[in-house]
Amino acid sequence: MLELSDNPGVILLLGAFIIIALPTIMRRPAMLLITGFSAMRLMGMEVGDQTVLSLFGLDLTPMKFDVLSRLFLIVFHIAVTLNIIYSWGVKNATECWASLAYPAAAMGGVLAGDWITLFIWWELAALTSVFLVWQPRTRETYLAGMRYMVIQIASGVLLLGGIVILFRQSGALAIGALDLRDPSGLFNPAALMLFIAIGVKSAFPLLHNWVQDSYPKSTLGGTIILSVFTTKLAVYLMARVFAGTPELIWIGAVMTIFPIFFALIENDLRKVLSYSINNQVGFMLTGIGFGTAASMNGAVGYAFSNIIFESLLFMSVGAAMYRTGTSKATELGGLYRTMPLTLMFCLIGALSISAFPGFAGFVTKGLILDGAAEGHNFIIWLILLFASAGVLEHAGIKIPYFTFFAHDSGKRPKEAPPMMLIAMGLSAVLSVGIGLYPEPLFNLLPYQEQIADYHPYSAYHIVEQLQLLLFAVLAFALLIKFKLYPPEVPSTNLDFDWLYRVPGRALLFKIVSLIVSLWRWLWGGAQEVVTRVMARTHRTHGPEGTLARNWPVGFMALWTAVVLAVALVFLYWVA
Amino acid sequence: MDFIAQLPVLPVVLPFVAAPLCLLLPAGRAPWVWATLVAWATFALSLILLEQVWINGTISYAMGGWSAPMGIAYRIDLTNGMVLALISFVAAVVFPYAGPSVRDEIAHKQTPAFYTALLLCFAGLIGVTITGDAFNVFVFLEISSLSTYVLVAMGAGRDRRALTAAFNYLVMGTIGATFFVIGLGLLYMATGTLNMIDLHERLVGQDNRVVKAAFAFIVTGLGLKLAMLPLHLWLPPAYSYAPSSITAFLAATATKVAVYIMLRFLYTVFGFDFPFLSVALDFFLILGVAGMFVASLAAMFQDDIKMMLAYSSVAQIGYMLLGISLGTVDGVAAGLLHLVNHAFMKAALFMAVGCVVLRLGSHQLSAFQGLAKRMPWTAWGMVIAAMSLAGIPGTAGFISKFALLQASFDKGGLTPTIAGFLIVLSSLLAVVYLMRVVRVMLQPLPESGPFTKPVVRPPLLMRVSLWVMVLANIYFGLQGGGLIALTRRAASILMGVDAGGAM
Repeated sequence: MLELSDNPGVILLLGAFIIIALPTIMRRPAMLLITGFSAMRLMGMEVGDQTVLSLFGLDLTPMKFDVLSRLFLIVFHIAVTLNIIYSWGVKNATECWASLAYPAAAMGGVLAGDWITLFIWWELAALTSVFLVWQPRTRETYLAGMRYMVIQIASGVLLLGGIVILFRQSGALAIGALDLRDPSGLFNPAALMLFIAIGVKSAFPLLHNWVQDSYPKSTLGGTIILSVFTTKLAVYLMARVFAGTPELIWIGAVMTIFPIFFALIENDLRKVLSYSINNQVGFMLTGIGFGTAASMNGAVGYAFSNIIFESLLFMSVGAAMYRTGTSKATELGGLYRTMPLTLMFCLIGALSISAFPGFAGFVTKGLILDGAAEGHNFIIWLILLFASAGVLEHAGIKIPYFTFFAHDSGKRPKEAPPMMLIAMGLSAVLSVGIGLYPEPLFNLLPYQEQIADYHPYSAYHIVEQLQLLLFAVLAFALLIKFKLYPPEVPSTNLDFDWLYRVPGRALLFKIVSLIVSLWRWLWGGAQEVVTRVMARTHRTHGPEGTLARNWPVGFMALWTAVVLAVALVFLYWVA
Repeated sequence: MDFIAQLPVLPVVLPFVAAPLCLLLPAGRAPWVWATLVAWATFALSLILLEQVWINGTISYAMGGWSAPMGIAYRIDLTNGMVLALISFVAAVVFPYAGPSVRDEIAHKQTPAFYTALLLCFAGLIGVTITGDAFNVFVFLEISSLSTYVLVAMGAGRDRRALTAAFNYLVMGTIGATFFVIGLGLLYMATGTLNMIDLHERLVGQDNRVVKAAFAFIVTGLGLKLAMLPLHLWLPPAYSYAPSSITAFLAATATKVAVYIMLRFLYTVFGFDFPFLSVALDFFLILGVAGMFVASLAAMFQDDIKMMLAYSSVAQIGYMLLGISLGTVDGVAAGLLHLVNHAFMKAALFMAVGCVVLRLGSHQLSAFQGLAKRMPWTAWGMVIAAMSLAGIPGTAGFISKFALLQASFDKGGLTPTIAGFLIVLSSLLAVVYLMRVVRVMLQPLPESGPFTKPVVRPPLLMRVSLWVMVLANIYFGLQGGGLIALTRRAASILMGVDAGGAM
C-alpha cells in the first residue's frame, strides 16, 4: 500500500509551492533536498505496490508502482537533480516553481494506475510546463507558450474523449494494454483517440512542431527540463498501452528520419537539439512498436540513457549560450580555446547520442536495432541504420563542431560556471558509466530473462556500429571538405507547421469571420423580428393598448352580453 | 350542544356575528385586533372541519333544523373544506399584516367600518364556499361582493382612481350577480328546488332550453366573478387601486371562491349527464388559453406592479380554467392545486408590494429600484414568490404547473397536448414580466428621482406575515405530496355523481 506522501508527484508539487515561499538564497538547496527526499521515498517502494481508491463508485488506482514506472521515476529524479544543479544560479520564483511542479506532474502521471488520475496529471503537466515556455517573458515566448498550450490542451481533450469512450465500452478505468484495432481490423475509436492524444505529446510526425516552436525559446534550464518530461511521459504511456502496435513501427521510423534534414539546415543549435528529440523518440517508438521483449527493453532503456545524454547536449549548448548569449551556429565557433571542459562534456554527449561503443547510447540502441532485425523487417532496419548515421551528422558532429570549432567567431568566453560544470560532469559520468557498465540499467529493464543473454559488446554489434559511424564521419568530412555541407546561415526554415501557421491560420480566420457574420445575420435578424413583434404586442397589450386599456363600464357590460350570447348560441345550436 | 355537530356552521357564524360588533369598537387598534382574532379562530375551526371531512367524509348540516330540500343545507366535502381552509389561512395571515398597512392608508375614524367590511367580505366568501344551497350561494356572493366594493373604494384615500375602479367593479359585479340569479331562477323554474344535490337529481335527464339558458347565465355570471378572459376588465383597476392588504386578501381568495363555485356548478349541480358540458369545457379551454396569453402579454408592459400582478392573476385563472376544462380527475385536481398555490404566491407578492407602498408610497416599477438593498426581506420574499409564480422548481408554482402539464399530456389527444405546450410557453412570458421586476430590484439604488431618500424597514409584523406566505410557497414546493393527495381526492369526490361520497 502506498501512501499519498510516497507519490513523488505530490511531494514535488507541494515542494514547488514551499520553495516559492522561501528566501531566494535557500531555493536551490531546498529544491535539492525535496528531490532527495522524494528519491528516498522512491527507494522505499516495492514493485507491485499500489493504492486503490473508490470514488463515486469508480475504482481508481492513483498509484501503481511496477518495473516500468520504476525505471522512468528513477531517470526523472536524475534529470530533475541534474537540472537543479545546472540552473543553480537561477533563483527566479516562477522558474524554480515550474522546474519542480512540471516534473512532479510527469511523475504523478507515470505512477498513475487509472486513466482519470492520469488525465489530471496530464493536464497539470501542460499547465505547469507552459510557465517554462513563458519564462523569458518576451512577446515571442508568450505567443509560443499560447500555441504550446493549445496543442497540449487539445491533447488533453482527446485523452479525455478517449477515456470517456473507453469507459463506456469496458466500464473499467485501469490503464492497460489496448488494441488500436478491433479484431475486424477497424480502428477502435477510444484507442485511436488515446493513441493520438499520446501521439501529440510524443510529437508524432506532422504533430511535432510544438517541440521546435516552444522548447528552444525557453530559458537555458527550462529547455532542458522541457526536453525531458512531456515526450518521455508519452513514450512511457505508449509502452504501457500500445506495445506491439504495428502502426507505431512506421510512425517511429518516419520520426527518426525526417527531423534529420531539418536539423542539418537549422542554424539555432538548441532547435537542432529539439529536432533531435523527435528523432530519438522515434527510435523509442519503433522499439515499442515491435513489442518484443528485446525491443521493449531497448526502447525504455534507450529512453533512460537518452534523457541523460540529451540533457548533457542541451547543457553544453546552454553553457555556451550562457557565456556568449547566443545559440546560433553562425555566431558561435572556436570556443574550444576557452571552454575546454564544456567541449569535453559536449563530446561525451555527442558520442553517446551517436551510440559509439563505450557510451550510453550504444548499449541500448543495439536492442532496438536487434528488434528490427528479429522482426525481419528489412526496410525498417535500413531506415533505423540510416537514421543512426543521421543522428551522428546532426547531433553527434554538428553540435560540437559548430559550437567549438568551425569558423572562429572570435569570442573568447570564460569556462562555464562551476555548478554547470558539475551538472554536465555528472551527466557525462553517467553516460560513460552506463556505456561501460550497463548492468545496473539492465537490472531495471522490464524483461529480465531476455536482457540476461544480451551482450552489447559482441563483435557483431561493435563492428556494425563502428562501420556505420566511420562512414558517417567520412561523409561529414567529405561534405565539409568539398563545401557541400549545408553552410550555417542565419535563416528561418519552414517546417510543416508553416502550413497551419500561415495558410491554416488564414483559413481559420476566414472560417471564423464567416461564422461570425453568419451569426450576426441570424441573431440580428432574430433581434429585429423580436423587436417588431414586441412593438406590435405593445400596441395591443401595452398600458394604452386595446387589451389593457381601462375601458368604460358600458363596454365591459357589452362583453358580458357577448359572452352570454355566444354561450347561448353554442348551447342551443351546437350542443 | 355538541361542538362537533355545530362545527360546520361556526366558520360562517363567527365572522358574521363578529362583523357588526366590530363597528361598535373604538377606532384605532381595537377593530384590527378583533378581526385578527376572529380570523385566527376561523382558521382553527376550518382546520378542524377539514380534518373531520378527511376522516369521516362529507358533512351535512341542516340550518335551523330544517332538513335539506326545504331548509338551507350546508354541505362540506373535501373540495370546499380545502377552499375553506385556504381562505381562512389567507385571512389569518393577511389580517395581522393589514394593521400597519391600514394605519397608513385608511383614515383613522374609518377603521371600525373598514374591518367590519373586511369581516363581512370574509364571512361572505366562507358562506359561498360552505353552503350546499344554490340560492344561499347568491346571497353570500352578494354579501362578499358588496363589502368588496366598499373595501376597494376605501383605497381612494391614497388614489382617487379607486372610486372609479370600485364603481366599475360594482356595476360589473352586479351584472354578474344578476346573471347568476337569473340562472338560478331558471333552474328553480325547471326543478322547483334550490338545494344543490336536489337540483342535480332533478336535472338529470332534462335537456330543454330552460336548463340550457340557466347554464349559460350561470356560467357567464360566474365567469365575470372569476375574471374569465373577456370579462376580466374590472379586475386590474380594482386590484390596483384597492388598499394593499385588500388586494392581497382578494387576489388570494375572491377569484378562488368563484372558481370553486364554477366547479361546483359544473360537476355537482349539472354533472356529466349533460351533453352540453363538453361544449362548455371547450369554451373554457379556449378562454383559458387566451387568458393565459392575452393577460400575460398585457402584464409584460405594465409599469404599475399591482396592475402587472393583477393581469398575471387573470392569466393564472386561465391556467385553472384549463385544468378544469380537461374534464379529468387529474385535470380538476391540477386546477385545484393551482388554485391553492396561486393564492399563496399572489398573497405573498401583493403583500410585498404592500410593504413597498407603505415605505415608498408607490407601486410603480421605478419605486422598486434597488429594493434588494433598501428592503432586503421584502425584496427577497418577492423574488421567491415571483419564482413560484414563474414555476421554478422547488416552489409551489412548479408543482401545480407540472401537475397541469401532466394532466394535459395524460388526457391525450391533440388539443390538450397543444395546451400543455402553451402552458410552458406562457410560463416563459411570466418569467419575462417577473424578470423585469427582479432585475430592477437587484439594481443599485437610484441616484435621482423621487425614490432616493433612505427608508426604514417595514414593520416586523408585515415582514413576518409576508414570509409566512413565502415559506408556504417553499414548503408546498418541497413537500407538495400531501396537498397533491388532497386535491386528487377532492377532485375525485367532486366528479363522482354522488358529490358527497365518503372515502
